[in-house]
Amino acid sequence: MSTTLTPSAAASAASSAVRPAARERGASAATLVALEIRKSLSTRSGKTLALASALLAPGITAVMAATSDDELGSAAGPIGALGLVTVLVLLAVGVLSTAGEWTHRTVQTTFLVVPQRGRVLAAKAVAVALLGAVLAAVAASATAGVLAVAPVGDLSWDGVPQALGVVVAAGAAFAVIGAGVGAAVANSPAALTGLYLTVLGVMPVLRLAQPGIAEKLDPADAVLGLAAGHGGTTQVLVLTGWVVVSLVAGAVVTSRRAVA
Amino acid sequence: MIEVSGLTKQYGSRTVVDDVSFVLEPGTVTGFLGPNGAGKSTTMRMMTGLVPATSGTALVDGRPYAELPNPGAVVGTLLDASAVHPGRTGRVHLQLLAAAIGVPGARVDEVLETVGLSGAARRRIGGYSLGMRQRLGIAGALLADPPVLVFDEPANGLDPEGIRWMRDLLRGHAARGGTVLLSSHLLGEVEHTVDRLLVIGAGRIVADGPVAELLGDEGTAVRAADPAALTRALEAAGFSVQHGPDGRLTVPGAEPGAVGAVAAAAGLALTDLRPVSRGIEDVFFQLTAAS
Repeated sequence: MSTTLTPSAAASAASSAVRPAARERGASAATLVALEIRKSLSTRSGKTLALASALLAPGITAVMAATSDDELGSAAGPIGALGLVTVLVLLAVGVLSTAGEWTHRTVQTTFLVVPQRGRVLAAKAVAVALLGAVLAAVAASATAGVLAVAPVGDLSWDGVPQALGVVVAAGAAFAVIGAGVGAAVANSPAALTGLYLTVLGVMPVLRLAQPGIAEKLDPADAVLGLAAGHGGTTQVLVLTGWVVVSLVAGAVVTSRRAVA
Repeated sequence: MIEVSGLTKQYGSRTVVDDVSFVLEPGTVTGFLGPNGAGKSTTMRMMTGLVPATSGTALVDGRPYAELPNPGAVVGTLLDASAVHPGRTGRVHLQLLAAAIGVPGARVDEVLETVGLSGAARRRIGGYSLGMRQRLGIAGALLADPPVLVFDEPANGLDPEGIRWMRDLLRGHAARGGTVLLSSHLLGEVEHTVDRLLVIGAGRIVADGPVAELLGDEGTAVRAADPAALTRALEAAGFSVQHGPDGRLTVPGAEPGAVGAVAAAAGLALTDLRPVSRGIEDVFFQLTAAS
């Protein structure tokens, strides 16, 4: 039976004087990053999101290619547009890596083992950036692969390397933004709702009402612009601003919040 | 060794933990006892750096918990057994923890065996009972076999067999020179496990001492015409004497006959002599209600 106790095991654990060799020092930065990647991929929700981020864009591309007769013209367009789908999923991967810990209260164990909360948040940011970049690269190259073999007429492959590069960078950036906002809000449902409402609800409305302001705030539009090759410094600054502001907010809350 | 000194936590004007001080010595199991809401968990969270203290210090081996190089290898902590991700399996949860502390992966199967969870190790924690989660939490605390164990209400959800098993585990840990702090709101749960009781009520330590002394479970109450002379005689005979109200003396661990014999030998007249056995729950209520 699974819950049967083993007195002999308890007794031997209690009587043996030999302690297992635990590390003297704290975990290295590389160890912490690897650990955070494992943590993100060790839950069902994490695995599902990772899979979704990698498969959604090429899947949609395949469906579109099979059902639409429209000429696509350029491959860079769909790679960028569907890349946005990918990075929006990666936003959730980032949120769950930080806010998920507060929601499930696993943050308790995390900070008991590594009390330097700034180190933990930094490791999480690097971990989800790596995850985001890799998953976005998989998704974007699979999308390109589908476009290459699909019967979609003559495609121009101009600007595809840039679109791929932008999607990969945006994957990392959005995952980090998610981690920062998740750490600042410390509640998964609230962070996810707030982020998606902002990016998919508030920003499009703002784009209609105040295009000038929206251009300086909208991270999704910045990704699309950069991927299509007509973005510039403004778009890079928008994404950088989101990353910096969310990480700073996350770091401030993480360092002060009591673990109840 | 753990030294807690003047630890205080205020939330606004509300003082949850009020100037709590104690020292935990290696080789002892200390019971941290108090009703729900008395400040046990908050004290333990301040000791481990999870909740910032308003004032006071808590030192583990001379430094704050957060400044230990690898705290997970020094203090095994179980604060909240339900603070685990329900989507992970028990085994994965422990593997992640082992990696964070820097303990070989093989140790995971050992502690699973120790707590009796080997059969459930590959099941998702979401399906675990509270007792199983407690065992998983204990397994996590034991991973590095740390010299200090800090358990908050570990008996919650454990069946009587589990409580007895935990008692053996903690006694064994102390016997090997380990330091154990164990909280409970039920005296009966920890009474036979602990060497010493630290009783907290409304945020303040109201009693701190060896179990037998606090409970005075077996002893004699005596009154004499000359209490001071009787005290000297009893102490000369090797008994410890506690002074109660109205000149009443309490002699823990002594039979009335023995006390009477000492008095007779010293030629002292007694006015009252009877056995006392204070109920442990009475003591508990008396201590925590007074605060």
